[in-house]
Amino acid sequence: MRLRVGIDVGGTFTDFLVVDERGEARVFKTLSTPDDPSRGLLHGLGEIAESYGLTVQELAGAVEVMVHGTTVTTNAVLTRRGAKTGLLTTRGVRDALEMRRGIREEQYNNRYANVEPLVPRYLRLATGGRLDHDGKELEPLSEAGVLEAAESLGNEGVEAVAICFMNAFANPAHERRAEALLKEKLGGAYLSVSSTLLPAIRFYDRVSTTVLNAYVGPALRRYIDALVEKLSGIRFAGVLRIMQSNGGVVAPEIVRERAAMTLLSGPAAGPRAGTFYAGIHGLSDCITVDMGGTSFDAALLRGGQPLFVTEGEVDRLRLALPMLDITTIGAGGGSIGWIDKGGLLRMGPQSAGAQPGPACYGRGGQEPTCTDADVLLGYLPPDEFAGGRIRLDPSAARRAIERVAGPLRMTVEEAAVGMARVIDANMANGVRAVSVRRGFDPREFPLVVAGGAGPQHCCAICSELEIPLFLVPRQSSIFCAAGMLMSDLIHDDVRSMPARLDRLRDGRLEAVLREMSESARATLRAERVADEDVVLQPSLDMRYVKQYHEVNVPFSPGSSEVAERFHREHDRLYGYDLADQKTPIEVINVRLRSIGRVNKPSFPELALAGSDPASARKGERRAWVPERRAFEEVPTYDADRLSHGMRLSGPALVDQANTTLFLSAGYGLVCDRYGNFVGFRRDRAESLPASVAELCR
Amino acid sequence: MTVDPILASVMQRAFKSITDEMSVSMMRTTRSPILCEAKDFVTGLYDEKGNMLEQTENLPILSFSLGPVCKHLLEYFGDEIHPGDVIFHNDVFSFGNQNNDVAAFKPIFLAERLIGWAATKGHMADIGGAVKGGYNPAATEVFQEALRIPAVKVYERGRLRKDVWDLIFANIRLDIVKEDMRAEIGACTIGERRLQALVEKIGLERFEAHKQHLCAATERMMRQEIRSIPNGRYHGEGKVFFDGKHPGSEFTIRVAVAVEDEDITFDYTGTDQQTDGFVNGTYTSSASATILTFLQMVNPDIPHNQGMLRPLRIVIPEGTILNASYPKATTFGNHLCPPNADAIIRALAGAIPDRVGAGWNHLLCALTTGHNPRKAEDYVDICFMGLKGGSGAVRGVDGYDHIGMIDASGGLLDQDYEMFEQQTPHQLLRHEYLTDSAGAGEWRGGLGVETEILLGGERTQLVTFGDGDVKPAFGLFGGRDGTLNFIELRKPDGTVYRTTSKDIVGGVPAGTRYVQEAGGGGGYGDPKRRPAEKVAREVRDGILSRAAAEKLYGVALWPGTFEVDELGTAELRRGS
Repeated sequence: MRLRVGIDVGGTFTDFLVVDERGEARVFKTLSTPDDPSRGLLHGLGEIAESYGLTVQELAGAVEVMVHGTTVTTNAVLTRRGAKTGLLTTRGVRDALEMRRGIREEQYNNRYANVEPLVPRYLRLATGGRLDHDGKELEPLSEAGVLEAAESLGNEGVEAVAICFMNAFANPAHERRAEALLKEKLGGAYLSVSSTLLPAIRFYDRVSTTVLNAYVGPALRRYIDALVEKLSGIRFAGVLRIMQSNGGVVAPEIVRERAAMTLLSGPAAGPRAGTFYAGIHGLSDCITVDMGGTSFDAALLRGGQPLFVTEGEVDRLRLALPMLDITTIGAGGGSIGWIDKGGLLRMGPQSAGAQPGPACYGRGGQEPTCTDADVLLGYLPPDEFAGGRIRLDPSAARRAIERVAGPLRMTVEEAAVGMARVIDANMANGVRAVSVRRGFDPREFPLVVAGGAGPQHCCAICSELEIPLFLVPRQSSIFCAAGMLMSDLIHDDVRSMPARLDRLRDGRLEAVLREMSESARATLRAERVADEDVVLQPSLDMRYVKQYHEVNVPFSPGSSEVAERFHREHDRLYGYDLADQKTPIEVINVRLRSIGRVNKPSFPELALAGSDPASARKGERRAWVPERRAFEEVPTYDADRLSHGMRLSGPALVDQANTTLFLSAGYGLVCDRYGNFVGFRRDRAESLPASVAELCR
Repeated sequence: MTVDPILASVMQRAFKSITDEMSVSMMRTTRSPILCEAKDFVTGLYDEKGNMLEQTENLPILSFSLGPVCKHLLEYFGDEIHPGDVIFHNDVFSFGNQNNDVAAFKPIFLAERLIGWAATKGHMADIGGAVKGGYNPAATEVFQEALRIPAVKVYERGRLRKDVWDLIFANIRLDIVKEDMRAEIGACTIGERRLQALVEKIGLERFEAHKQHLCAATERMMRQEIRSIPNGRYHGEGKVFFDGKHPGSEFTIRVAVAVEDEDITFDYTGTDQQTDGFVNGTYTSSASATILTFLQMVNPDIPHNQGMLRPLRIVIPEGTILNASYPKATTFGNHLCPPNADAIIRALAGAIPDRVGAGWNHLLCALTTGHNPRKAEDYVDICFMGLKGGSGAVRGVDGYDHIGMIDASGGLLDQDYEMFEQQTPHQLLRHEYLTDSAGAGEWRGGLGVETEILLGGERTQLVTFGDGDVKPAFGLFGGRDGTLNFIELRKPDGTVYRTTSKDIVGGVPAGTRYVQEAGGGGGYGDPKRRPAEKVAREVRDGILSRAAAEKLYGVALWPGTFEVDELGTAELRRGS
């Protein structure tokens, strides 16, 4: 047996998708262990082994590829529980990190506060030494200053230090020397060096990115080291890959030193999975939503491609590394309900997480969560949740919800309905953020629904936004884990090479690209990618002389079309070009994206089984139907027995091993040839895209 | 037609994403750091009658003159508006706000029918006139300040009017201005393409109906906000110091804010007469100041379209310092925003104490011109990083550190340090928070900054403008004042020159140290009520001195530590 395993470690659950060489997939889910996530991961591997009738060592031997997304770094930033971090920088500029160039994002809001910097001012230390704009030394590095800083930071007990000097993008010498001195003095501290991580001009972007990397570095390094050790303990000899924010995967030893590349690791696989599931139905535009235990991630895809940014923000902190454009809000099954000062019911962003978890898990949680509400509303089966391994306790859920019902002077059921409505509105706003706010009408984008809590709430989100069509993959609860097995290896490399384009026709560009390509191939070879699976995508960052910003244009060595392409792209993006003025073009950066293609799993198709779902019918459960403002006896179905072509009409409940799909009144559902569920508003069935209309008719 | 409220909100967000995209286009294509680094520009969409649909207001003080100019263009050109036209405008006597702020307008057509306008306006590095960069404290008339561009078509039906184009740029010193105006046209083209696509998809009739619905809904939101202010007539004053000509001169802005149910009027009758220098406002620069100050006292989520403006009435008599008559000099007009805002804040502080903050640090800044031998070119640079002081605190929230003058409200950005050293012949020595600059208070003012730059290059000339060097940002309800602004030149020969607030200093030798302090904002409430741990943390961070912690906040720390001495603190705070 040869297996591939996608593993998504979330705040609450760790999800596994295991695919064998025939495409047969199995899904597993264990509770995360946030204090050491590798523990929960190993525990899950144990369960997988048992299910295949193997020892854990035998399983480890059968696994060819293990792809792993982690929220270790994201959570460290969002909860501000990263390393105690120091910054060593050039004298006179230590506040740039906190100033953020003096921006207040909400100009008219006098209550809008600046972000707490990841390094407080007393840990931002400066030293003498100065390079000019070209990297020429104006003043030698003050080694005494570096040592003094090292001592202060050592006394403060910092676990990580970011080193970022003025103009170091042009000359790394001072930073390298400071790094060596700090390594000597601070031993095990995680060092993040700007000229290694991001050798690009713009001090603020660099210092912010370097600090983020330092802040999350120790947590990621600890985690990866523990994981690698545990895996080698069970004699895993396959390839381990880690998901990066750019939607590609990478070897652990590379990402260990570039921890900031994983800040969106968890959700980054979602859009890739969305492409796949929407593609089955010939749809290239969609919005993916993933509601897990702690957070809700939304991304919009057009033409089969996720939106992409080369720089962005994590919690308003600048991160100048390429990443997918994903919006995350604090809404999940574990989101806690509470009453604000004005007496209004609120949900989240605090989450009960995996420990203690929702009250109904019976692990000591006292606070009312979304999952508790879902149990009382009948959406989750108390005795069959997570394949019967977690027994949900409705009376504990009831006791917890009393905490908000009392102050609201409502019954527990009314309060549970209120909690669901509030969190549904929050998630609808998250979908608006990726669609309406970018000028897209959400009604034109089918919703691809994922995450353990997603299928209980997707009809409510669709109703709120009038979205007529949604897709729930059969493996919806492990959506990102599936996306990971479909993600290629991606490395982004950049070299600064400022020169006028017409003066670069001497083969210099080609020479630099050759060198970058060699190094990319070597990296991918080390990651066990065969040369024929390597795709190289060279491009140039170009601008008209004296502009400050560049346009990225694909470039094929030896081709003369690049100037023409640049003019066209400049017009497309900015409304004009300067071809007629014969304005000279400058090249600033040479970029190379190297992709190592991986084999993607293919899933077997199901035979058509007719439209009658009677064979999958289980019974009935009392559940809240919002459209009718009433509890009703709602028919329940076993997802495993729903096959290709079977159709349901809401209200209905489809119980899967790890989640339940609630199909509300007014919606229809049909099972497609891969066993995925296509949901639609019955009154809009005629106006659905042609590629799914027939299926839904 | 039945209105679909979701479509109306989709349209609102689509307008916003279009003006945002126009703004990105400007930022990424312009050459002057004033535009591409600091974002001293605005972009907007207007309907076929010149009503505002949405704006991206990086610099709010520029923002609220585009609509009035758009209406002026419609009247001026009448039937002679065609697809492919591009119109330039900066004239302060036909609704422009400042000579240097030059706008490009593009009418947007769908099947031969005018459906709206795209406009972009940015601060040009030069606009002709007697002084490079435009700020001329010696000017008495507009003719000594700038090239006037009343409504002028530079493209007609898509064809460049080369003669007009050449006439304009023959009067402007720097070539990059030509390129930056091309960037403005490009951004308008982006707005044109996007609005056309949007209206094509929605259909013109539905677009019209939903546009009306959106503006009406916005107007209702604004009226609700005004209704929450107690009815009354509230008076406030702000001081203007030094007209650039008469040392020690002082002028007063007087406003009466009348709130009547859902309507509000800002009446500046009684404001001092215009000066004979360039310290004068235009109607639109002063009205923009009023609007942007008031917007900070209402729900910040109100969309920016014409509906937002309808309940506001602004009366500024002609011939006053806020509305100069032709042909007075007015280049300083945008910078009358801080004292104008002070007057409004003081007027409303008693009526809505929870929504009005303490005073903001006023602008004081330097525009540096010269020759950069390394790049063999002349440059113009405004030292944005140095000019940004702190905002005033509000109840419950400290002021914002290093945000800059209220005219921009945090929309104007520092140049990136490394880009600054790439593009100018100067070197940045220091740019840090200024210790003890924040006005003390239960909620403190925002921090100011200190900046030190080693000037290089040749033929260096400095022009300063602003104030905040006579009176600091004021505290409210027991909060203390912030600190003063200054700019100093420490020359290689050891002499030190402190500039006035409106100065021209020529022949600055290379090797001079430019030193600037931008002060902090005013505090709110009694500083002795501020939690001692917060005070201790600021001492540890070095933004507050031990002495100030004791004297202003009544907080004693154990010597050599940053631990609060509880007994000593109680002693210091007793009786206050």
